[in-house]
Amino acid sequence: MNGSLAEKIEHKIKVPRKLSPRISWLRDYYFQGCKRNWNNEYTAWSTGTPWDVLYQEMTYYIVPEVYMLIDTLGGGYQQAARNIDIHSDFWTWSLPERKAWFLKEVMVNHVPQEILPGDLIAGARFNIITSTCFTKKESAAYNQRVTGKNGARTKMKWFHDHGYGNAGATSGHLIPGYERVLKVGWKGIYESLKTSFNQLDLRDQKGRKGSQLKAMITAATLPRDLAKQYAHLCTCLATEEADPERSAELSRMAGNLKKVPWKPARTFWEAIQSLWLTHMLIMSDENYPGPGVSFGRIDQYLLPYWEYSRDQGMDWEFAKEILKCFWFHCNTAYDAMIRNGNQGITAGFGQLLTLSGMGKNGIDMTNELTYMFLEVIDEMTPILEPKPNIRLHRNTPDELLDKVIDMISDSQGSPFLINFDERSMAGMMLEARKANITHLINASNVHEYAPVGCLENTMVGNDRSGTVDINLNLLKAVELTLTGGRDMIPFVDPMKGKPEKIRQDGPSTGDSKTFETFETFFKAYEEQTAYIIQKSVETYEASEAVRADFLPTPYLSCLVKGCQEKGLDVTQGGAEINFVTLEAVTYATTVDSLLAVKYLVFDQQICSMSELIQALRDNWQGHEKLQAMAINRAPKYGQDDDIADALAKQVMDLWCRETWRHKTRSTQRRFRPGMLSWNYWAGDGYVMAASANGRTKGQFLSNAICPSSGADIKGPTSNTNSVGKVLGGKTSDGGGGWRDYLNCLPNGASHTITFNPSIIKDPEHKQKFKAFIKGYAENGGTALQINMLDPEMLKDAQKNPGDYRHLLVRITGYNAYFTTVGKELQDEVIERVSHCRF
Amino acid sequence: MDPSSTTGRVLEIQRMSTEDGPGLRTTVFFKGCSLSCSWCHNPESISPHPQIHWIDSRCIACKTCLDMCAKVALSLAPEGIRIDRSLCDGCGACVDACPSTALELLGRQWRTADLVHEVLKDRVYFEKSGGGVTVSGGEPTLQSGFVSDFIKQIRAQGIHTALDTCGSCSHKALDKLLPHATLVLFDIKEIDTNKHRAFTGSNNRIILENLIHVSRYIKTHLYPEGLWIRTPLVPDATATIQNISGIGSWIAEHLEGQIKRWELCSFNNLCRDKYTRLGLTWQFQDKSLLNEDHINSLLTAAKTTGIDPDIVHWTGAARLDGRREA
Repeated sequence: MNGSLAEKIEHKIKVPRKLSPRISWLRDYYFQGCKRNWNNEYTAWSTGTPWDVLYQEMTYYIVPEVYMLIDTLGGGYQQAARNIDIHSDFWTWSLPERKAWFLKEVMVNHVPQEILPGDLIAGARFNIITSTCFTKKESAAYNQRVTGKNGARTKMKWFHDHGYGNAGATSGHLIPGYERVLKVGWKGIYESLKTSFNQLDLRDQKGRKGSQLKAMITAATLPRDLAKQYAHLCTCLATEEADPERSAELSRMAGNLKKVPWKPARTFWEAIQSLWLTHMLIMSDENYPGPGVSFGRIDQYLLPYWEYSRDQGMDWEFAKEILKCFWFHCNTAYDAMIRNGNQGITAGFGQLLTLSGMGKNGIDMTNELTYMFLEVIDEMTPILEPKPNIRLHRNTPDELLDKVIDMISDSQGSPFLINFDERSMAGMMLEARKANITHLINASNVHEYAPVGCLENTMVGNDRSGTVDINLNLLKAVELTLTGGRDMIPFVDPMKGKPEKIRQDGPSTGDSKTFETFETFFKAYEEQTAYIIQKSVETYEASEAVRADFLPTPYLSCLVKGCQEKGLDVTQGGAEINFVTLEAVTYATTVDSLLAVKYLVFDQQICSMSELIQALRDNWQGHEKLQAMAINRAPKYGQDDDIADALAKQVMDLWCRETWRHKTRSTQRRFRPGMLSWNYWAGDGYVMAASANGRTKGQFLSNAICPSSGADIKGPTSNTNSVGKVLGGKTSDGGGGWRDYLNCLPNGASHTITFNPSIIKDPEHKQKFKAFIKGYAENGGTALQINMLDPEMLKDAQKNPGDYRHLLVRITGYNAYFTTVGKELQDEVIERVSHCRF
Repeated sequence: MDPSSTTGRVLEIQRMSTEDGPGLRTTVFFKGCSLSCSWCHNPESISPHPQIHWIDSRCIACKTCLDMCAKVALSLAPEGIRIDRSLCDGCGACVDACPSTALELLGRQWRTADLVHEVLKDRVYFEKSGGGVTVSGGEPTLQSGFVSDFIKQIRAQGIHTALDTCGSCSHKALDKLLPHATLVLFDIKEIDTNKHRAFTGSNNRIILENLIHVSRYIKTHLYPEGLWIRTPLVPDATATIQNISGIGSWIAEHLEGQIKRWELCSFNNLCRDKYTRLGLTWQFQDKSLLNEDHINSLLTAAKTTGIDPDIVHWTGAARLDGRREA
């Protein structure tokens, strides 16, 4: 480099910039957290019956941290709930109709409508817990199937306690048909629903289909009536407002709300207003804040509105101002449980938006709005929501890549996740073939895909693929192979301290001590893998079936293509595209454990199987030498070692094959494979027994598709190559999923690489880093989270959390404030950084 | 070293290197050097023979190694495993047995085909970045037969190759390698002959002659395409205005317009532990890094020697990545 001497890399934390007084105020106000006078915390609303159920606990079955709190939360909401005077015909209606009416009543006539100072977007409070609207009989049946003996809760608890993972029918995690709302308005949706209803024969009108459509028709009028309330409020505020400029804004807002979201949007401001109100009501409908309800390709579908407003003279900066207000609102999702902590109980939300990406015939779709959004992200960062995702591909222009690299350089780690189109699309094409839906996903439209939540690839407006509903620890199958189908260590009830009796849970695959070859061992592993997948499918079925029978979301169903056509709620499999995603956790730990068994017992004969099993039962205590061998000498996935990666591919192919075999019984949704580990790889490390790769119980498992912690010793390119290889790599035989790319995980796989900041220290290095990203697009996975941290800064942040309040780290595509994650996770992040050698 | 050897002794293979030539590179560090610079950042690269070292933080004190050594070169001292260098022949038996990889063998034999396979794994990154493979060391010209064959095969694949040399070698060795190198990275460490001898143990006359030889070769051949000069900035040694000005003037006089880049590489102290591990003392042990003013003055000196100032580049030694650190 010339001139400047960046000898010392300063520990600077990204700060927001170029914010107007309006946005600064809103942003600062947001970060006051509990101290705010206004917030968007849950309010609870009941039908007032003694049997009412308010808390939809199954939504939280994939959040083990709350298992202990389920009854408390449920009871608490019940206690805090205000009763709604219900319509006189209420109990004569079907369940979906009751739900639709109740939601509308609560949102329009009970939840207060407010406009925050300076805000340009209406729609403030939306976090609600609503009645399930059950009759006494429904309530009893529901409770029986959820909390009764062998109910969904018992199954879920068993599954988690015994180290399999977690499973539950969860809300959100889809991209609703927002583009349609902008284009035709809710009026268009309403009229179309009416037409569908009228086309039903009389028997169907009175039957389930008719009930569902009637519920959706009611739901479709909710945004209209709520917007009317807000329009009225804006008009009143405009009259009272002393500042003429603000008064004019409020009048404009009133004008917008008189039009949208009921009618089609025309201007950029109307489009954002329509989008926000439509979006927030999904969170109201599902009683869950920001659960991966994602915006999709927002720079694409908002472009016509921006172009119209721009041509009418809208200022670039004012458009950004509107977007920044939108940003503020997305973050208020976290207020739901604000009293439980800074941002609520978890950072596990994910209103994802997607920028750029490929269009038809491989052309690039980057546009003006792409850059506008990037500016907004840049100026608002650090902030948690919405979560941006940038789609890159072979034809991404250098201008965009340079901007991406600059933004990564300016933040601590990239302020967005990068999705790679070719690899992702190969996976989407695969799922189309597997489920015989090539009429819905094919070469002419696959580029319209977009990720939800963190990085889970789906189609848009017609797809609910349950992307976080099952999280399975593949490692459990290795444990069961070693023991012949029994838990390695007994489950101990944390409250009673009493160990459970160990039973024969998995198939009896024989005494592993008698296995003479690794092939025999792997055969048994195959059988155990089939079993744990079967088990996860059964566990999931319990909550899926209950949701389908009892917990309709008619409002959301209006926004998912297929529901209207089939007359089925989205919870009943109404969406055109309808997978349940099985997310595999502990992949690298599993592969490395198998590699260790092979190395220690069979290839090198360093120990016998019985010694290895004893070491695991003893949690490696007293077997330190063997443990060191397992950690340091056995081959590892993630080092671009062809032999190790070949076994990794075998493991991958096996569990994918088993996953595709299953469908939900109640809703006929096919299972598809993916790899996302959220924070389970940390938490379940305390649940699962020691593993053959040298990990002790209590140490973390591996994260998503990443190599095991500490195994990434050959740097980012080898790490990347391993990931690409196990996903399928490329083929030259014309049998690729997308062009020559293969990808066995249609959902995608979370991959995080932490880079040393020196990689972006000057323009020359930035070019090299850019080349790495281009290389990743060829050799790597579907999605990459780039972290750019140095251990010293993190250690300092551990010691002085007060000074690093806004320091963002990203884990599995999630950004979390570093000082708010636990010490163990902090240590893990530090360890990863320290191990990077390049 | 047998010049027609089909195996080469490799110290380390570093992937995604950003510092050894253009683009992203895989750098192969060969073991054995013809110089022995007192500041050397890779002291384990000097000896052509395999060596063992012990990494304190990895050791679990299982004592497995003690029984493995036929030469009884290992013993347990209060500070840890002690290696008697007069007895150790680098057979690696202890390394193979060490459960925790606390003992490492420095220098392994690689067959050409395996090495080619290994470096080609990053082909796509080379292509996207205009990078490639760099042979470095140690001194790659000491294994000219093997290295020549290796880079020949790499370039036959259309991949950029760079020869990183200290220049202390025979014309014959150089001539074997030059046809297959896309770029030559050539060190001029010290312009003063006496000082050069004192610092490196060798005269610099042959080095400068070789450099002129390389420059002439480049003028008359398709390959190599380019020549870069690298100079380490070592405090109280090479980091003097006199030396930098001297090197610059020499370049201006002898290599007029032929140098694409002159890199001034700052001293770093990240290799301190390597000396301890090899049982060596390092005279730069307590030297601190060059300060900014000093580097600036050297840069200014370099740019005002009559060469094109744009070719002068500085690479920082205090960067956090501990380049080439084992």
